Amino acid sequence: MNHLDRLRAVFRMALNLPADADVDGLEYRAVPQWDSLAHMALIAAMEDEFSVMIDTDEMIDMASFAKAAELLEKHGIGATAL
Amino acid sequence: MFPHPQARVFAAGTADDLTAQALTDRIEHVAERLATLPPGPLFCGMRNDLVSVLRYLGAWHSGRPVALLDPELPGAVLADLARRFRPAALLGFANAPDGPLRRPADGPAPHPDLALLLATSGSTGDPKLVRLSRRAVLDNAAAIASALSIGPGVVSPTSLPMHYSYGLSVLNSHLIAGAAVVLTDDSLLQRSFWNDVDAYACTSLAAVPYQYTMLQRLRFDRANHPTLTTLTQAGGRLDEALVKEFAAQADRFYVMYGQTEATARIAVLPPDRLADKPGSVGVTVPGGRLSVEAGEVVYHGSNVMMGYAHTAADLALGDELGGVLRTGDLGELDSEGFLTITGRLRRIAKVFGIRVNLDDIERLLHDAEPAAATSGDDRVTVWTEGLAAADRAALARRLGAELRVHWSAFDVRSIDRLPLLSTGKIDYRALESLT
Repeated sequence: MNHLDRLRAVFRMALNLPADADVDGLEYRAVPQWDSLAHMALIAAMEDEFSVMIDTDEMIDMASFAKAAELLEKHGIGATAL
Repeated sequence: MFPHPQARVFAAGTADDLTAQALTDRIEHVAERLATLPPGPLFCGMRNDLVSVLRYLGAWHSGRPVALLDPELPGAVLADLARRFRPAALLGFANAPDGPLRRPADGPAPHPDLALLLATSGSTGDPKLVRLSRRAVLDNAAAIASALSIGPGVVSPTSLPMHYSYGLSVLNSHLIAGAAVVLTDDSLLQRSFWNDVDAYACTSLAAVPYQYTMLQRLRFDRANHPTLTTLTQAGGRLDEALVKEFAAQADRFYVMYGQTEATARIAVLPPDRLADKPGSVGVTVPGGRLSVEAGEVVYHGSNVMMGYAHTAADLALGDELGGVLRTGDLGELDSEGFLTITGRLRRIAKVFGIRVNLDDIERLLHDAEPAAATSGDDRVTVWTEGLAAADRAALARRLGAELRVHWSAFDVRSIDRLPLLSTGKIDYRALESLT
């Protein structure tokens, strides 16, 4: 599984979405499932899955799936895959 | 005078900075438009924005009772409320029912003292409204302003929903004291929120326990927001370690206790007593009195509600409680009058600042499968018999949606058999020992 698929799985798990949910277009607070509580769960799950430390600025800037993918690249994960 | 002539309301991200006269003019303008509506209570979907605040204050100004409700209430819940309470209008709701409202029958007019209606929980199993008088709202706002030393120099953002009594108390206590409120619907996890905190030089922030957990996770650093001197906390017990951590970051950290049935606030712990009264929620707000009767915390004060309302007819009722509220909380008072909450009389949990009745949860699940609910800090554990993982996740989603509480509040677990007492009732103690 490439890092984007792993990120999609993390999103579905942390936001409690069905296994077939399309998450690529998701934005923070644009859907009821991704609220502030889910955001914290998501950050924690990403840190576990990718063994990264997400800092405060990254946490409050990660306002979409695309931003989350960018953030992973910044941490050197799957930098060539996008 | 409410609002105080120096009170200011800033709509974040807009040029709408309403000071003194401008605020009064806008309120009067809205009041004039509301006067064209038929008689009866106004139901407002209360967002943290200027339109909502002006509707609320316009209704207040014109003497019309107003219910401030969750703007995202599901259509079916809102339709049920409208059917039972016959409001003059539904304004600001995302899921307003279609078609004209049924006009009130020739029922009695709402009681002249009635000013404000609030819901006590997100639960569909408990759709009653709390009836608050004009005096209760004003007295509690003034008492809070006094206990928290709120004056014209204080500026607070709306960090909580204002259809929630704690969130509304921030607005009211600031308006009555001539302080300023920055209206924002953003969450603590958005950069825009913190940009506004800095741009408006906010001095005080109100939050419930889960938000303090978030702030800790965000590695909140006061040094980044030097104007922020005061933090307040209510909406359930905050872990002592977090109290210490945030008290060290603020000039003043207020632990507080209250209920919607007492408008909002019952007790406040003065910051200089935080160290020698750990675990206490403080002393009564000015004008109130506390007693403990057979273990139950009883509050006496002019901010106690008039009573509950289940239908439009109840809105005509006068004061049924006489300023005495049996809180349903168990507690202890020490010799100096400091209150410590030790538990709940009834099966009620508080998750993310919202009250949830555990028996309602079991009733909701009755059609699905055998289930029992127990509670911990910010968490309800739902026990099912042999439910698969995917079904447990779906159940948490369903409970979250139906009770209007975030699904992560529900820890759905599976055991072979629910333990029973010899009476055949569920053995909750045995379940709690498993958490």
